[in-house]
Amino acid sequence: MEPITWMEFWIVFGVCAITMLACRVLPLFVLKGRELPERVSEALGFIPSAAFAALVANDLLTPGMFDAGLWPAAAPLAAALVVVVVARLTKSLLWCGIAGVAAYALFMMI
Amino acid sequence: MFTLDNIRSAFRAAVPIMLGYVAIGIPCGILSASIGLNALQVFMMCALFYSGAGQFMIPNMWLAASPIASIIASVSFVNTRQMLYSAAFAPWCEGASKRLAFWFAATVTDESFGVNMKQFELGGWTPEQATFVNIFSQSSWTASCVVGVIIGNAIGIPLAIAAFAMTSIFICLLVTQNITKANVVAAACAAIGVFACKCAGLAGPAIFLGALIGVVCAIVFSRVCERIQR
Repeated sequence: MEPITWMEFWIVFGVCAITMLACRVLPLFVLKGRELPERVSEALGFIPSAAFAALVANDLLTPGMFDAGLWPAAAPLAAALVVVVVARLTKSLLWCGIAGVAAYALFMMI
Repeated sequence: MFTLDNIRSAFRAAVPIMLGYVAIGIPCGILSASIGLNALQVFMMCALFYSGAGQFMIPNMWLAASPIASIIASVSFVNTRQMLYSAAFAPWCEGASKRLAFWFAATVTDESFGVNMKQFELGGWTPEQATFVNIFSQSSWTASCVVGVIIGNAIGIPLAIAAFAMTSIFICLLVTQNITKANVVAAACAAIGVFACKCAGLAGPAIFLGALIGVVCAIVFSRVCERIQR
């Protein structure tokens, strides 16, 4: 992996910061107390579930992932299941991170 | 008014968020360091971008070799949910000056939204106090992330471990969402969409396209359910 350069950082940081600021500030000033249209609110409400699922799927699922054998691809999936259980029990990002790394390291040693 | 009492009450309300941000900010800094971000860059992101999910997504997608356009589109897409918070706070900020309203709105996060909205609904809570809650929270997040970068540079985390730590955090964020049928459809279709994009050779924009597919499918599912109920 190539480390991120300053130029790449400026592009990602600059655009993301501007869009974030617009999303945070514009509705408060533009709506002036009126509510967002119901359909827009509903669509925005679906975004976290869809986006986090997409991020998880991108990390865990790859075409041909079982070509090199069952366990190398199944180990991260098994570790992900451990994280699901920890997430349901604790709802803690920190504990999920610790449990995920520990389970992943353990399963990859098998 | 910027009084000592206002600052004290805001600090008391912000303490749980600040402690939570220490626990998450340090790992975020460590993971940011794993893609070559330095303390100054992370400080700038915390000060001017200030997004937990976004600041985890950038290193995660960079490690996955996603194109810059895809990283920007995906991170911005996830952060559009902030529009909901901003709209929800609008009635409470009607009497505030534009400068204060701007400052307050620009520093809202998922966690500070929850705390401030609860306080506004209880009554006696002002935009000044709410802004102080945001400032305390952001200070904690910024300090923790910068400390994380320093730790990350000192210990050197293996990339595979760093990557799975981020995957674990996204799993937690996914599992702790409000579980409704439509949200399950959104998540399932997004995951299938990502896999389909990868199979079609669209690995670069797979996350953004997958998330978009998930949202569209959930909207369609909701419309169908509404029609069936009528």
